[in-house]
Amino acid sequence: MFNSPFFTYFWRFAGAFSVRSKIMGIVVALALLLGVGITVQVRAVFLYTLEERLQEQGVSVARDVAARATDMILVNDLFALYQLLEETRNNNPDLRYAFVVGQDGSVLAHTFGVGFPTELIEQNVPRGDDHHQTILLETDEGPVWDTAVPIFDGRAGYARVGFSENSIQTSIARLTSQIVLTTVLVSAIGIVAAAGLTWIVTRPILQLKEAAEAVGQRDFSQRLDPWANDEIGQLTTAFNRMTVELAQAEQERAEREQLRSQLLEKVIAAQEEERRRIARELHDETGQALTSLMVRLQMMNELCANPELKTQVEGLRQLAAQTLEGVHNLSVELRPSVLDDLGLTAALERYIQEYRRHTAVEVDLVVLGLEERLPAPMETALYRIVQESLTNIARHAQAETASVLLERRPDRVRAIIEDDGVGFDPLAANNGERLGLYGMRERAELLNGQLTIESSPGQGATIYIEVPL
Amino acid sequence: MSVIRILLADDHAVLRAGLIALLNARPDMEVVGEAADGGELLPLAEQIVPDIILLDLTMPRLGGLEVLPLLRQRVPTARVLVLTMHNEESYLRQALKAGANGYVLKKAADVELIAAIQAVMRGEMYVHSSLTKALLDDGLATAVAPKSETDSWETLSEREQETLRLVALGHTSKEIADQIGVSAKTVETYRARGMEKLGLRSRAALVRFALARGLLG
Repeated sequence: MFNSPFFTYFWRFAGAFSVRSKIMGIVVALALLLGVGITVQVRAVFLYTLEERLQEQGVSVARDVAARATDMILVNDLFALYQLLEETRNNNPDLRYAFVVGQDGSVLAHTFGVGFPTELIEQNVPRGDDHHQTILLETDEGPVWDTAVPIFDGRAGYARVGFSENSIQTSIARLTSQIVLTTVLVSAIGIVAAAGLTWIVTRPILQLKEAAEAVGQRDFSQRLDPWANDEIGQLTTAFNRMTVELAQAEQERAEREQLRSQLLEKVIAAQEEERRRIARELHDETGQALTSLMVRLQMMNELCANPELKTQVEGLRQLAAQTLEGVHNLSVELRPSVLDDLGLTAALERYIQEYRRHTAVEVDLVVLGLEERLPAPMETALYRIVQESLTNIARHAQAETASVLLERRPDRVRAIIEDDGVGFDPLAANNGERLGLYGMRERAELLNGQLTIESSPGQGATIYIEVPL
Repeated sequence: MSVIRILLADDHAVLRAGLIALLNARPDMEVVGEAADGGELLPLAEQIVPDIILLDLTMPRLGGLEVLPLLRQRVPTARVLVLTMHNEESYLRQALKAGANGYVLKKAADVELIAAIQAVMRGEMYVHSSLTKALLDDGLATAVAPKSETDSWETLSEREQETLRLVALGHTSKEIADQIGVSAKTVETYRARGMEKLGLRSRAALVRFALARGLLG
């Protein structure tokens, strides 16, 4: 049922109004419906009853006049007949008129004073054997129930009386206005009650909404007071339980994150330290030993008189020289001693020089305000980030030029690496690239800094790193 | 011709021994002392006042770069020839700035060292051939006057100028977009058009241009 298109349509319509409007609308509509229904029904019943009674009254009065008029007509006492009609009119306030018509069709007596409407006579003429005959006349004074009763079985003419409906109409109008007044009153009370009910229902819902929004903003300290034990109160309790759970989960997550971050920092520091140690070892021990080897071989070469031996020694010397070169390169690749001895600028200059030699990318380095050394961990991190970025550019970007900018401001250091290559969607980078970017971001975040990537396919890529001092 | 008196400072004993053998084998040279680090070197140099000091840059305690200015000060007559593994230009510049008379790489010690000592003793400066290019570049860089781009800058629209200035200051496209109230896409357009007009190819070139024009103050 809830899946039917009709229900969907209905819900789209009903959902367009707030709960407040819905409740108020229903209450007012019900009050109005009830008022209109009662008015229509009561009016109908009332009208029917009153009209029936008016007709009965008409018949009874007409028959009374007819019975009492019989003798007067037979003795032709027209004055008594007139008095009879006047008396009847005085006793019945709703009686509009009464008159008696003789056997010859002439009016014997009437209550009109002067100017009897003669056309009235033909409107209602009973037959002699009729008990009575009642018709409804539409006059310019309103509807009139006209009853005719034959006198002396029609041999002495007939009596006519007319009862006006005006008083009925007045009563019904009064009744209607009473009911309408009551309806309006009930509606007003209904609106006030609905407003109160709406407030009771929507206040906790609005509170819940605000609290849920705060939770959405990662504020898990939200607790609400359940007002009552109704459905909304249960919802509030459930909400409170949820925020407690969320706060706990968030705390656990933060702790794990902190541990992870500490571990990562340790791993990175250990890796750097290990690289530094091996690089130094290669540089100092292996390198120096190879150098002495070369020096001694050179001496041997000079002292040697045997030309064949001389060639052998020269070959060995060259081998030692090549090995020394290889060891030195390996040492620098692992961790350039320039970074420790002379700082970030010198290390980047050296790296970029080497990079230009091995790639087709034209790299331009601009360093501003870095005359003084930065803290060692920051230098290492920035060096590795630039190194990783430039490696990525050489590998994926197909760039012609790249820029490396390094600027020290009073309170922070900003590094920007930009290329004019094919770019990429930072959100859709493949796994390897994403891992590289992730590593760079982690390094920046370990220094409380942040890393921003701006790139889109075809637009090159820019990586911004900002680290506070 | 008198014998050249040499003081040797290197933390590696085996290498020292090799060098001593190499140098002493020559009739015109004599190693008159050896030191394993800068701390050891200083008093020794003051005491014997050698003609030339062969100085390693990487030594424990007092390194070559730290001890160099002190040597210049305390033993001004002695010439200093740096003998090192480091082939990076920055080390070379630092060493020359600190007062070295020559710079020899260890990988070439076997064949170049003697020539370097002789050149330095003649009052020349000796620098290993792979590094001389860098020194020339330094000289050239300062010799080339910055080109005047005043006019091309004025051809840029106000929006383009503002965008380029903010780019040179290191703002992200999004920050610039928020600041001047356009979309990031439009910022890219302003930037590309401005760079095109100025004939600049990279962000680094733009920063250099902005520095020269004083736009970053």
